[in-house]
Amino acid sequence: MKRWFKQAKFEKHQSGWLFIGLVASFFLFCGLTQSFENDKPTPYTLRYPANFGARYTIPADNPTTKEGVYLGRLLFYEKKLSAGNSISCESCHLQKLAFTDGKALSAGADGSLTTRSSMSLANLLWVRNFFWDGRSPNLEQQAAFPLTNVHEMGQPLEESVAKLRQTALYPPLFKAAFGSDIVTSDHILKALAQFERTLISADSKYDRYLAGIYQPTAQEIRGMELFQNAPNPQKQIRGANCEHCHGGVKTFKELFHNNGLDSIFNDNGRENFTNQPEDKGRFRVPTLRNIMLTAPYMHDGRFQHIEQVLDHYNEHIRESETLSSFLKDVSNEINGKKLMLTQNEKTDIISFLSMLTDSTFITNPEFSNPHLTLKSQ
Amino acid sequence: MSPFKFHPLTFVWVFILSLSLSVCGFAQNTASVAITGEVATPLNLTLQDLSTFKQVSQKVKERDGKEHEFKGVALIELLEKAGVTTGSKLRGENLAKYVLIKAADGYEVIYALAEIDPEFTSQVIILATEKDGQPIPSGEGPFRIITPNDKKPARWIREVRSIKIAFAKD
Ligand code: HEC
Ligand code: HEC
Repeated sequence: MKRWFKQAKFEKHQSGWLFIGLVASFFLFCGLTQSFENDKPTPYTLRYPANFGARYTIPADNPTTKEGVYLGRLLFYEKKLSAGNSISCESCHLQKLAFTDGKALSAGADGSLTTRSSMSLANLLWVRNFFWDGRSPNLEQQAAFPLTNVHEMGQPLEESVAKLRQTALYPPLFKAAFGSDIVTSDHILKALAQFERTLISADSKYDRYLAGIYQPTAQEIRGMELFQNAPNPQKQIRGANCEHCHGGVKTFKELFHNNGLDSIFNDNGRENFTNQPEDKGRFRVPTLRNIMLTAPYMHDGRFQHIEQVLDHYNEHIRESETLSSFLKDVSNEINGKKLMLTQNEKTDIISFLSMLTDSTFITNPEFSNPHLTLKSQ
Repeated sequence: MSPFKFHPLTFVWVFILSLSLSVCGFAQNTASVAITGEVATPLNLTLQDLSTFKQVSQKVKERDGKEHEFKGVALIELLEKAGVTTGSKLRGENLAKYVLIKAADGYEVIYALAEIDPEFTSQVIILATEKDGQPIPSGEGPFRIITPNDKKPARWIREVRSIKIAFAKD
């Protein structure tokens, strides 16, 4: 700063006007940064238990802010973002169902069905490959898909931008979040991504158990152990080996597996994206958090009830070239080919899965439809 | 000026373009391992490429308690080929480099660069392509890392698809 002034003084000898001009622009500059600082959005603190870990990346050009999250929440529930103003993200992602819709396949703006089942939107902050096949690398890019896909909201981004520009509500909110009241598709995607990062589910009975403030029932403990253990009949350890793929506190590992649903595939899953034959029929291992709320199950919603999922892993694994080796010849009996869990053991596992229901998450007012409160004001 | 005169560089570009096109076509059908990151020359190696390196065998006990013989190429040789800072160059900030290995199913493991370098360790970690004289079956192969001194085989990562060398940044 000092040097800068010295230089300015020096230049005064050449031209007084130059000096005055420089001083004027200095103050103008200070004034500008000042007002910019005042309008800066407030950082949003993402809160989660330490055992979730910080292995996530937030794009440097889209920091999470209170204003951005609020805007994203309004957009998540905004029907203007769809053809004919008919549906919003909520139509397929309802908070009370942990952001799924209870359907095998969902109807889009034009009434046609999606090709896969809607996914729960919980703990997306930690996900690195979005969708059932992991084809999308971040939430910013991901959001463009449902917005424009004909089976979903079916409206070009330019049209969404034009519609929002005509409202009184949105331009000031875009200014507060991104510094400009000109609505752009980039900022729509960024705001949606910011809101989605805040959808953290970490207050289930299981979390309280891990925090040492909930004592599970005997059945829940039996279920938890079966869930976690790999079966080892020689050592008389009974297990269902779910942990191998759905393990860790977040109940998923970012893995792609063929979990034996089919031997002939209607949907090639990850192969469609990677073009590698070993990926045929592989899908992303989804989180099991809130699983009791998110039926029907699997990428095509083929199982209506959680019991059918347990029956599948226990009795109906289908052989194929790409079947996960962690589901082959895994048994609770020596030389067994199937898992061989008893009926009671299956029920125990289901009682553990029920521990993953997070009622704080599905009733958190910060995730609910903000347009309802806006209207009543 | 003749309208048919090409800039001499044009030929170079056409050559590079056709070369990269043929490489792309290759990568799509044939399984390969990519070596990228802090390397002088990124590599994309197929089974055939690997067979041109010196072959090394390791007899190890698997999780099932049975002994198997894995054959392949010493990982260090591949890193050297890619121009990674090994041997005498593995000092100073280069000791903060790690090797991130990813599998087709998304599984990931890490080795510190020094864990692989023969000046630091006497074990030879291999990128195996054969198990008991046969190509490694799908689901496990075609490429698998074998680290004989690891008591628990959790880092013997199967279905290796990429190897990335990077600096720990913290
Ligand atoms: C018509 C129903 C429908 C609508 C509307 C919809 N989605 Fe989805 N959503 C789905 C389906 C189906 C999938 C899985 C698609 C796939 O894997 O190919 C999905 C997947 C996702 C995922 C991936 C989650 C994960 O774990 O990988 C996110 C994130 C998501 N949607 C966000 C949104 C947002 C944001 C909107 C609004 C802009 C939206 N969705 C609107 C049906 C819908
Ligand atoms: C080899 C890895 C693997 C193992 C082991 C495994 N799963 Fe899965 N699981 C998956 C994959 C992959 C999917 C998604 C498959 C699809 O939709 O095509 C899945 C899906 C599910 C779903 C449906 C989730 C949803 O949102 O629709 C449930 C429930 C489930 N698994 C429970 C279990 C239980 C309980 C066990 C133990 C008995 C188990 N899994 C063992 C890989 C695994």
